[in-house]
Amino acid sequence: MKAHSLKAENLVAGYGDDIILNSVNMKIPENKISVILGSNGSGKSTMLKTFCRLLAPKSGSILLDDKSINCIRSKDIAKSIGLLPQDSIAPAGISVAELVARGRFPYRKFMAPLTKEDYIAIEEAMEAMNICMLADKSVDELSGGQRQRVFIALALAQQTDILFLDEPTTYLDIAYQIEILDLLKDLNKKKKTTIVMVLHDINLSSKYADYIFAMKNGHLIKEGEPADIITPETIREIYGLESVVVTDPVSNSPMIIPISSHDEISGVS
Amino acid sequence: MKQNNKIKTITLIGILLLFISVILSITYGAKSVGLSDVIDALLGRNLEDYNVNVVQARLPRTLFGIIAGASLSISGVLMQSITRNPIADPSILGVNTGASLFIVFGISFFNIQSKLSYIGLAFVGALLTSIFVYRLASLGYSGATPIKLAISGAAISTALSSLISIIVMPDSSVMTSFRFWQIGSIGGTSTDDILLLLPFTVLAIVVSFLLSDNLDTMLLSEETAIALGLNIGRTRILAALCGVLLCACTTALAGPISFIGLMIPHLIRSSIGSSHKPLIILSGIYGGAILIISDVLGRILGAPGELESGIMTALIGAPVFIYIIRKAKLQSL
Repeated sequence: MKAHSLKAENLVAGYGDDIILNSVNMKIPENKISVILGSNGSGKSTMLKTFCRLLAPKSGSILLDDKSINCIRSKDIAKSIGLLPQDSIAPAGISVAELVARGRFPYRKFMAPLTKEDYIAIEEAMEAMNICMLADKSVDELSGGQRQRVFIALALAQQTDILFLDEPTTYLDIAYQIEILDLLKDLNKKKKTTIVMVLHDINLSSKYADYIFAMKNGHLIKEGEPADIITPETIREIYGLESVVVTDPVSNSPMIIPISSHDEISGVS
Repeated sequence: MKQNNKIKTITLIGILLLFISVILSITYGAKSVGLSDVIDALLGRNLEDYNVNVVQARLPRTLFGIIAGASLSISGVLMQSITRNPIADPSILGVNTGASLFIVFGISFFNIQSKLSYIGLAFVGALLTSIFVYRLASLGYSGATPIKLAISGAAISTALSSLISIIVMPDSSVMTSFRFWQIGSIGGTSTDDILLLLPFTVLAIVVSFLLSDNLDTMLLSEETAIALGLNIGRTRILAALCGVLLCACTTALAGPISFIGLMIPHLIRSSIGSSHKPLIILSGIYGGAILIISDVLGRILGAPGELESGIMTALIGAPVFIYIIRKAKLQSL
């Protein structure tokens, strides 16, 4: 399966009269994990929302396979681009399997029951997120980490080769964060799914991303591999924060250590 | 699977309940008749017999009860799903009162008499009120939350009720004809009324049923629904039109009947979940059954006269409403 290409061209977007994104060009690298980094209000969430049609651009366009997404049927786009929003809602009392099955919506024929392909896709999605044993459980009873995996499985049942995730690790403790990101990495390795995430944690971004987009004040100011982006200079530029960058002894990815105004700097040059 | 068996059981119980309530509604009343008379009436035998005539007089009332109960209940399902609000229903959102106001207005000032115009007036009144209540609840921070919707519905409903009183009170002839209508009764309906009502309700129920998959998707977050390719605006508008049409038709002919649209969908949801196909069908079955049972209870408690079905649904519904609010703690769907 050839990967779909996705890019934003001269994108201007915002809410009401507020312009948040100012003529942004962004090309999502295919079959890779990308992370959009930026301070609060930098436009990273707006970027993701515009890619996922939650927000209409004021000008410029989003191109899926070089075709503007305005010209493609929304159910067809839904077969190529999936999304895990920041806050997901499950109807009260719904079971895990039933919820994951809702991800088949773009493929369903009018009023028809679930097909064999639907069941295969649901099964695969639950396997990928390791939630098969929870299938008959009510979503209300799950822990935060389990819930998040169920919602990712819903997006996977959509069988898109591009998947957006808006801060998928928020509200989760560190073990669950790693668990979710590992599952996403597996997915990218096995299925070559293009993954684009908004993450707050710079070190996790650096550890899992193949490619990083750095945004500030509605502009894309830098993009590249973690080693090129996670530097004291760029961190200062994005967040206005002084930091020291060291190498993560386990994964060899760059890792930042923020410098507080109370720190007495010694031994680091 | 487990869920499917549960749905089957509840469907069976529902059909049984509906069947029993129909028998009760036909046989019980100021003049009780036997089952043999019912069979005779249905088969068209012994038409001169008095008891058989009683049965034939009660048939339209019973049929209308099923249609009205099913309509109100399905209307409640739609309004709850659209607003993501477990306590939304035509009476709480003030939609019934809006329909009433327009009908009262039409009769007092334009001397409108035909039932078809009642339906038209009720539809416009219900539609305008629901839009207004929703806009009012959406004002300010955090949008139309369940509690804000309930409050603005109650406020608008009270305001419209007093408008109705202003129009009705000074005119004793209007007052008399409206006293009974306003309480809500399925007693005074004829076969012609049912035939008039049927096309609208059938259309609205079929369209709602066809929207099931879309409504299921809409109950996920708005972001997820868009990412799944759902046209949210279109689904919402179609479902709202169906909901308003269903409650307007019933209100036009029977007056405002409260709580059916709140209780039934809520109880069905809590027992089978929020999948709209079974939810719509079962709400229809149980809505019809419960309204007829309320009507029969009204005949029993009010003997030798009768209590209007609208009073009965309120008597049963108010405690259930309090129970639901306490239990659900107003969480959204």
